[in-house]
Amino acid sequence: MGNSASSGRGHHEETVDFGYLTPQGIYTGPRDWNQAIVTQLIVERRLAPFYRPLEDYEESWDDEQILAARKEPPEVDGGEPSRAESASSSLTRGHAKRPSAVKEPGRNPEAAIYRGAIECPICFLYYPPNINRSRCCDQAICTECFVQIKRADPTTTHLVSEPAACPYCVQENFGVVYTPPPWRAGLGSEGATPPSWPDSPKATSDAGTNPSNAMKRRRKSFGHNDPEVVSVDHIHPDWEAKLAAVRAAVQRRANRRIIMRQVGDRLIPVGVTSGRVHALPTEEGGSEAPEGNGDRGSRRARRRQQNQELSQFLGNMGLGGQDLEELMVMEAMRLSLLEHEEQQRRQQEEEAKKQREQAAAAAAEGNGARSSDSPAASSESGPTTEPAPSESSESTAQPAHDAASTPPSRTSLSSHVPHSSSPSLLSPIPSGPSADHSPGRRSGRSSPSSHSDVEAAVQTTAPTASAVTSRSSEREASDQLAETTLTSAATTEGDSGPPTLPPLLTGSIPTMAESFEPQATDQTSTRPSLADPPSFASSASSSSYNVLPSSPESSVSSKPLLDVVIPSTSAVEEDPSTPAAA
Amino acid sequence: MAVSTRRLQKELTDIKRDGTPVGIELLSADDFATWYLSVEVLGNTVYEGEKFALKFRFDSQYPISAPAVQFVVDGQYQAPIHPHVYSNGHICASILSTEWSPVLSVVSVCVTIQSMLASCKKKERPPDNDRYVSRAPENPKKTQWDFHDDDV
Repeated sequence: MGNSASSGRGHHEETVDFGYLTPQGIYTGPRDWNQAIVTQLIVERRLAPFYRPLEDYEESWDDEQILAARKEPPEVDGGEPSRAESASSSLTRGHAKRPSAVKEPGRNPEAAIYRGAIECPICFLYYPPNINRSRCCDQAICTECFVQIKRADPTTTHLVSEPAACPYCVQENFGVVYTPPPWRAGLGSEGATPPSWPDSPKATSDAGTNPSNAMKRRRKSFGHNDPEVVSVDHIHPDWEAKLAAVRAAVQRRANRRIIMRQVGDRLIPVGVTSGRVHALPTEEGGSEAPEGNGDRGSRRARRRQQNQELSQFLGNMGLGGQDLEELMVMEAMRLSLLEHEEQQRRQQEEEAKKQREQAAAAAAEGNGARSSDSPAASSESGPTTEPAPSESSESTAQPAHDAASTPPSRTSLSSHVPHSSSPSLLSPIPSGPSADHSPGRRSGRSSPSSHSDVEAAVQTTAPTASAVTSRSSEREASDQLAETTLTSAATTEGDSGPPTLPPLLTGSIPTMAESFEPQATDQTSTRPSLADPPSFASSASSSSYNVLPSSPESSVSSKPLLDVVIPSTSAVEEDPSTPAAA
Repeated sequence: MAVSTRRLQKELTDIKRDGTPVGIELLSADDFATWYLSVEVLGNTVYEGEKFALKFRFDSQYPISAPAVQFVVDGQYQAPIHPHVYSNGHICASILSTEWSPVLSVVSVCVTIQSMLASCKKKERPPDNDRYVSRAPENPKKTQWDFHDDDV
């Protein structure tokens, strides 16, 4: 545009008082301040622009020496310039004009601004004397260093965020005050006093030192809420969201519960609640509700972007939304369940075999004439072994049908129900993190969501119970009932709202994850024996007994696996509060 | 050029031009990643006659991010026996973590640690020394310090 002497800078020519709207490359780290706000503050002359600093400075230098000492501009704006530039151009549209006075021959204003340059005590570079001053102790700080200062990020062990302290006097709520030069150039300069460096060098140096003299007179300190003050939080407005996100993630971890099901005399973990606290409800609201109209679209997109940044932030802390640990627990449970079923089938087969042998022996003993033991064997083994295969095959297929046909089911939800309830699905882990933010999914968490669903099902007694009973007629083994509950829970999730309910179902042992982890990796045929650790088994069972008698889930889970459940199902239907766990 | 390089260049220039405070010497500054300085506590203190070495490590965000500072523990140097200094050389000092300020410099850190030693009345290790040292990260910046007392 019209900037006379800065010839080399082909792009991004918007300047304010010969300084720039974006950093000049002193710092190379992530730009985690809000560049749109910074740009606006610079245009409003509330924050010094990003000047190209001088590597060194001597009062005696002439213009040429000053210009030669300027730090090389950043080669490419690299990193994330797009955001900054779009922000600035949208902000400043309409007044990107430069007064022609700047182009006057003679004095070079780009050098003149550096007269009386001040060294920034942090980066040790020299800046024009119209530099930011700390609000509290009136110390100089360049904009490039100022935007680097922020609250320390909260951590999982330090769940507070103290305001950033002044680097000079350690007063809290660091902020700066900027006194612009008496002239204006660049953005927002129409109608303002044009730069006044007339032809004589003497006048130039006067003009140059003027602002610094003016600022040296300022001795009072500003409160951090004064309107003149630009605070650290002002340009990092996301600190609260960050803090909330970390707190929510930590809370979620602490709330995580293992869901147990009693099978015969054993407790089998069937899931883990996600313990979501929903600090970021926008993430899910977007795809679920029909609220999304045109006018809200952009705002939502922005919120989504913010959420992405936040979840990236959490991910860097190991608190990412998709919890690998959670998935590993899930996988371990799935394996243990399979293992348990397998073991039970073997047991039955053994029993059948034993009975067969007994029958054969009895037959041989009884009359010795009949040598064929097959009739006895088939009649014995028929009913006992039949449920076993049905567990593994049907339970994967049937709930899927159910999900689609259960009355309250939502079509959008039923698509991921088979994933969550199918024990034979082997790939929850790879499908996890990448799907987490796809906007089309309700939550994007294929397996953990199902377990918060279970929890929700317990709370919303009515729909679940009906779903269970509608299914009961065609059911053989109560194991399938359990699967059905999972499924119907998922389908009723939409009605029951976000599963933020207190974890009633569960043994409260958040640290159980560790005890499961080895099994996730060691998935050989060794028996997982998940119910063996006495501490968790006992506490989990007591809590599920005490809390759950009225829920249909408890009636399911306390049933011996292979009983036929038709009678008790009607009990569930007629009187949901029957303590079926007895 | 990273900001740390520029800053350290200038700090080095200042040290070479103005020297270092009494009791502090620059041992080596071969690059802008690791510097060594020695610290002696002069006068009548419990560390009389002892000389310690401090190792500074800088990342590219110095001075916005604090340097990693620890006492050298090798054949030549030992960590001072001090309630805030662990036997592996790690130092529990708030200015090296949460209260770091980009206005501080290598020399000012040395001076602070020198005065921390000078005010010590009784030579003893931190009470949790063994526990900490057995599982301490290599880089003391990775430790989350819990600052208990400001007396020493």
